Amino acid sequence: MAESVRTNAGMKVTVNNELRTGVCTECGTRTEKEFYMDGERKRVRMTCPKCGGMGKLIVKTFTIPAPRPPQCTRPRCLWKFVKAVWACSLMNKYQAKRCDYASHNRDRIIKEKYRTGEPSPQNIKESIKAIIILRIDKLRRC
Amino acid sequence: MAQTQTWTDTGIAELINLLREELATGMESIVGLEMATVCTAVVGSTFADPADTATHHADGGLAIQAIDTVGVTTVNTTNDTITFDHVLTATADNNLAGIHVCNNDDDVAFIECCFASVLPMTDTDTCTIDGQSTLDQA
Repeated sequence: MAESVRTNAGMKVTVNNELRTGVCTECGTRTEKEFYMDGERKRVRMTCPKCGGMGKLIVKTFTIPAPRPPQCTRPRCLWKFVKAVWACSLMNKYQAKRCDYASHNRDRIIKEKYRTGEPSPQNIKESIKAIIILRIDKLRRC
Repeated sequence: MAQTQTWTDTGIAELINLLREELATGMESIVGLEMATVCTAVVGSTFADPADTATHHADGGLAIQAIDTVGVTTVNTTNDTITFDHVLTATADNNLAGIHVCNNDDDVAFIECCFASVLPMTDTDTCTIDGQSTLDQA
């Protein structure tokens, strides 16, 4: 009989970050801070005081949650955890390369998915494919 | 390198001091981290000594400043999550490698975050930060 493992989650931090130009894409006016309510949460964003538009998105970065620790010591549970760690590592690698590519091509027209990070690969196979495509110039533009 | 973020040891110590009603202050300030390459957030970082060779920005719109909004929300149990939202606006060309979320005395970094890539910011660029931290018993 396999033993069950208890884990404590502790303190989690997530940070999402959006880099934009400070000039409205619609009318060219300098954007200003605007406070708004998102449910009960008071938030802030940069919007155009004239038309409500936003600056051009350069890149978004975000936290990729680490895989949950294994909940039992059976080989199947451990193998599942190893696969989850491998997938997380590849997803992180893709996101790092995507952010680098998007921020260094801020003035060029590139695919929106490289700026927003959506859609992103969700498993090992998709991550490997996405990393290869991002590396090869001709494939990236298709 | 992936984006990394963590509570620091000194941040946890400050939190414990707050619970003990010792001399301590809450989450109030934010500062941009400067480094030419990607840094990695570690628990051992302090306000005076950020991750790797990163340093605090001293000007260019990324220097230490009051966080725009700090709030509280619920993820699992009532009011178990602190949220912070802020916009950093560059006033000169600078590299932004990450952030430190600090206390009101500006001497303790609660949270350190190193972005997935160094963000090259030019004058007037804006960086909107949406962060949250959950103290979870799950």
